[in-house]
Amino acid sequence: MLSSIVQALLNGLVSGTILAVPAIGFTAIFAVLRYPNFAIGSLATIGAYAGWYANVRLGWPLEASFALAFLGAGIAAVAAEWLAVRPLEKSGALMMAICSLAVGIVLENMVRFGFGNDPRGFNVPLMRDIRFGDLRISPQQVENFAVALLLMALLWVALNFTRMGRAMRATADNPELARLKGVEPATVAAITVVVGGGLAGVGGMLVALDTAADPLTGFRLILSVFAAAVLGGLGSIPGAVVGALLIGMVEELTVLLLAPNYRTAIGFVVILIVLTIRPSGLFGEKSG
Amino acid sequence: MSVLAIEGLVGGYASADHIVKGVSMTTDAGEMVAIIGPNGAGKSTALKLATGLLRASAGKVSVAGADVTGASPQAVLAAGLVLVPQERNVFAALSIEENLAMGAYTTPKQVRQRREAVYARLPLLAERRRALGRMLSGGQRQLLAMGIALMAEPRVLALDEPTAGLSPKAASELFASIRGLASDGVAIIMVEQNAIEALGVCDRGYVLVDGQVVREGEASAIIADEDIRRLFLGGRKGHGQARAAPPSKPPPAGATAAASPGLP
Repeated sequence: MLSSIVQALLNGLVSGTILAVPAIGFTAIFAVLRYPNFAIGSLATIGAYAGWYANVRLGWPLEASFALAFLGAGIAAVAAEWLAVRPLEKSGALMMAICSLAVGIVLENMVRFGFGNDPRGFNVPLMRDIRFGDLRISPQQVENFAVALLLMALLWVALNFTRMGRAMRATADNPELARLKGVEPATVAAITVVVGGGLAGVGGMLVALDTAADPLTGFRLILSVFAAAVLGGLGSIPGAVVGALLIGMVEELTVLLLAPNYRTAIGFVVILIVLTIRPSGLFGEKSG
Repeated sequence: MSVLAIEGLVGGYASADHIVKGVSMTTDAGEMVAIIGPNGAGKSTALKLATGLLRASAGKVSVAGADVTGASPQAVLAAGLVLVPQERNVFAALSIEENLAMGAYTTPKQVRQRREAVYARLPLLAERRRALGRMLSGGQRQLLAMGIALMAEPRVLALDEPTAGLSPKAASELFASIRGLASDGVAIIMVEQNAIEALGVCDRGYVLVDGQVVREGEASAIIADEDIRRLFLGGRKGHGQARAAPPSKPPPAGATAAASPGLP
């Protein structure tokens, strides 16, 4: 039993780290644009398919495929933002959130229209699992884990040590003062949407690498992404990482006790508990 | 020539909402000017109109001879007029060092040197350079807000109620720091509720009532004016809060009777 728990925690660590990538994208968009962008699920799907297209159809290596996943989803995100969501800005965050749900459905069906419903596997070699005693982990999981960590590290560096990264954090914290200091809100918003959408795209490709890309890849992800962001505190990037790790581990541990079908319910349960006990989440707080 | 010249400024939060009704003011290099008046007189609104945060419907604003009327906050900042807002004037989630870097966002050259210059002027910030904005006390936040503004190397510093919520000691220290800036040639224009204290450190003053300047002149003359003392300053020395009072003389043309004391 103990080894099963440790195995579940290891799996949870890997899946939580992967989940953190789109969760960071989701929470970053919320922090700067102040609305929950539920199209992030479909952007993950677009990333999965863009990566698959690059890898299988074009024969690109995975590294280059990740870049296309990021770019494809990032461009789709900013296009959707400017064409559909931004015109509703004056109607408020709720209308923008509902619009993003609609955008998500449209994007998902565009993918379905273009690629069909069949799952699409990546062109990666089959390898034996790596074993540590009773524990096992696949080389692909290790690679995905490393890619997710590398991406988070790059994002951390960009947010903390570049002028634009600092402007994004400043805008998320105090948009009025940021504008007064010369930050162009439209530029910061566009970059945030591209980066947030791009992260969702890479997250979708990471999930698809573990299984396969299909039109519902992102839809299955969105509840866990939202739960992770709410648990960590909407708008908090460290919160999204911690929230994703916790959600990943809890989901894996649940499989030990309940049928895998109930795994999806974990997201709902976590959102319910967090909103009841600590609505601002683990890292959320009001800035002053 | 005045570094900041505001002529006939009109405007408010909405295009038809004229809180400020034709205000004219000037500030010279190294001069400290106070804007005092009762609540709702349009003091802060005038600063927001001058700095581009609100769009003026009439009037002219120039900084060192450059016309910045109707310009964006970024353009006004580039011209050298920097506003320090009354509230939410620091980035709470950023460290002091990062806050200062944001002050130099539009002019990202020699940031380190400028930051060290700010630390030299405001040593308290240097001691806590890694601290987040949200961890600072009210007085420290105001100092940081000034430090952020100084990073842009302003010609004119517009301060909106810099001592609001501060203890008398902290307010006094802050005024001393502001005086130091003026001594180095920065023009200061500040809105203050602590009218006596503000006039005590400033060279000149403007009294605003109902969006209009009803009195201007040497700060010492305004403090000495019995009408002003009685109407706005509580009528006794050391009483810091400006107060609106019923008019004792006919109000100026266009002013409402309730808010306009009709000072000469």
